[in-house]
Amino acid sequence: MPSLRERPTLVAMFDDPEALLRAATILRTHNYAGLDALTPYPVHGLPEALGLKTSWMPRVTKTAFFIGAGLGFAFQVWVLGWTWRLNIAGKPFVPVPALMPVTFESGILVAGIATFVAMLIAVKLRPTTHYVPFDLALTNDRFALLVPGTAAEMGPIRALLEQLGAAEVRTVAN
Amino acid sequence: MRIECATPRHGLAGPVRACLAISSDDANAPVGSATAWMGGAGDFESGTLPVAIEAVGQPASMQADGTGKGQDFMLEHGTLPAEEPPIYDTRITLNRVTHDVLDPMKGRPGGWWWGAFLAAAGALGIGAAIVALQLRVGLGILGLRRPEMWGTYIVNFVFWVGIGHAGTLISAVLFLLRQRWRTAINRTAEAMTIFAVICAGMFPLLHLGRTLLAYWLFPYPNDRELWVNFNSPLVWDVFAVSTYFTISLLFWYKGLIPDFATMRDREHRPWVKKIYTALSLRWEGTASGWVHYESSYGLFAAIATPLVLSVHSVVSADFAVALVPGWHDTIFPPYFVAGAIFSGFAMVVSLLVILRKAYHLEQYITLDHLELMNKIILVTSTIVAFAYLDEIFMAWYSENPYEKHIFIWLRFVGPYAWAGWLAVCCNCIVPMVFWFRRARRSLATMFVISLLVNVGMWFERYVIVVTSLAQDFLPSNWGYFGPTRFDIGILIGSFGLFFTFFLLFVRFMPTLAMAEIKAILRHPVGGQPSLQEKSHA
Repeated sequence: MPSLRERPTLVAMFDDPEALLRAATILRTHNYAGLDALTPYPVHGLPEALGLKTSWMPRVTKTAFFIGAGLGFAFQVWVLGWTWRLNIAGKPFVPVPALMPVTFESGILVAGIATFVAMLIAVKLRPTTHYVPFDLALTNDRFALLVPGTAAEMGPIRALLEQLGAAEVRTVAN
Repeated sequence: MRIECATPRHGLAGPVRACLAISSDDANAPVGSATAWMGGAGDFESGTLPVAIEAVGQPASMQADGTGKGQDFMLEHGTLPAEEPPIYDTRITLNRVTHDVLDPMKGRPGGWWWGAFLAAAGALGIGAAIVALQLRVGLGILGLRRPEMWGTYIVNFVFWVGIGHAGTLISAVLFLLRQRWRTAINRTAEAMTIFAVICAGMFPLLHLGRTLLAYWLFPYPNDRELWVNFNSPLVWDVFAVSTYFTISLLFWYKGLIPDFATMRDREHRPWVKKIYTALSLRWEGTASGWVHYESSYGLFAAIATPLVLSVHSVVSADFAVALVPGWHDTIFPPYFVAGAIFSGFAMVVSLLVILRKAYHLEQYITLDHLELMNKIILVTSTIVAFAYLDEIFMAWYSENPYEKHIFIWLRFVGPYAWAGWLAVCCNCIVPMVFWFRRARRSLATMFVISLLVNVGMWFERYVIVVTSLAQDFLPSNWGYFGPTRFDIGILIGSFGLFFTFFLLFVRFMPTLAMAEIKAILRHPVGGQPSLQEKSHA
């Protein structure tokens, strides 16, 4: 849990995503930065409430598609026009319409693989056989708000979170 | 005091009630402090509207009359937005979703599972034995005879690729169309796609005759500087099917990651926990992680949508580009795509009717969902019927003797008329029962029809492949094609392969997309009223 290891963090557990949304909203207005949450599913409005940036994933997909399609097309042109010229009934050596299916499929293939790899990198996913989750219910039916802060801030934040309906507030210190 | 609802306009699983805006009657009231917002044990104080706006959309502006619009949400003055009917029973809680999906996988499998698995594995064994025999003896054991060189292997290939269309269509196209009911069926359909494409991919490789040289299909650097011929639809097929398989597999696995994390956190057996830990790739469910996850999910849907339409178009080009009467048709790509969706959805219905019963998933895979599937089957059936009529009409109207011979005489009058009429009955006439609501909602009816549709679709491909080649331009070549017992055995084997994979899937992987279902449950926590309901109180 990278955000928990960086500095002391308060983890407020919620049973209700709407309470989590409200708490995140209030904390943002108090100018707490670096908020994150752990949720079993994507809660709507939460990225905006936490002030998270939008994903850079679309740029990866778009770029990869054009690179894949471009390479696929160039490769076919090189094969048919230069290195392996086939004279088929006097037709053009590089028939552009006939090259479109492979061009398209290469673009999709490269875009899909690049998007998947980019997601693994962005979400910091990697295969491992040992992992200790913070709380087992966070992939089932509970929601946690992560609030990093200095030791001096912990008291007021904890009070605030409890007022906001947190079922439980834990401190994770390093 | 007035309470208004801010509803996000878009999101992964459609609009969900997300946050409330609270305002006093005087929209120009001074902004309250955040402590005032929380004061009074969750009650809302006046003058806190900008706080709620902050929550859901930055570029929001309030008008003097108390209405406002943000980029990602709308504030509706005075009235609450109309409720959409819930997709699932509103009493279902988050925890119950997890239990309902994962509990059937606990303990030892039941007798029905073992019975089905042994039958499927037995069929697979038959297929494997025939493949071994064919690799040893050669393609002569099949019914392939000049000029009938494509035979049932290519029929099976087109059939299985068609079956494999439903999964990605459901995950990608229905996602882009915001059809939230897809969450109940997408996981199973995607799994089915993967297994069907594996079955499909096997046949062209076996049909090569010298299967060990299958790598010649791919362009790879070699000493003789030979390359594949990119003008050929058969090469397009290699690219289309392998791309489709790769993208479908990644899409499926990506959807499984959060569910594997749920399984990891519930598993007690150490070695099983290790497997699910490895498969879940340290998934935590951070909000920042979900942002990237959802974004890439949408992107996968965006690239998979043209892909799914392209694959069967390319498969149809195998036929349509050839100058063979019966194949050389411009209608083939849309006709094949519609047929693929038709047979794929029928297969999904067949499997779901059994799965929902066996795993007690009736509350998730509801009759409403199955009815929607049946409507899609009905629509695609009419498209397929139109394509048949169009082919026959064009053959008759063109006055081309070769076209007329194949399309009208050979398929509906001559020696292959039994197959032609079987396809027409199963694909165009039987599904018309779905015009009646009662039939669309009857499990027994839809199960029988979905099986008949797939019988019909197999014979449709049989008609296309076999009749067009059976009587070519040299009458001395003419003969009657009949599959041998090995042709039939290997078809049974492919069903064995498909169902073996499928039964292992339902045993070891979550059959429903838990995270996606949870995201669209109307009441995420049982008994806890939402903010909106509080305002009514």
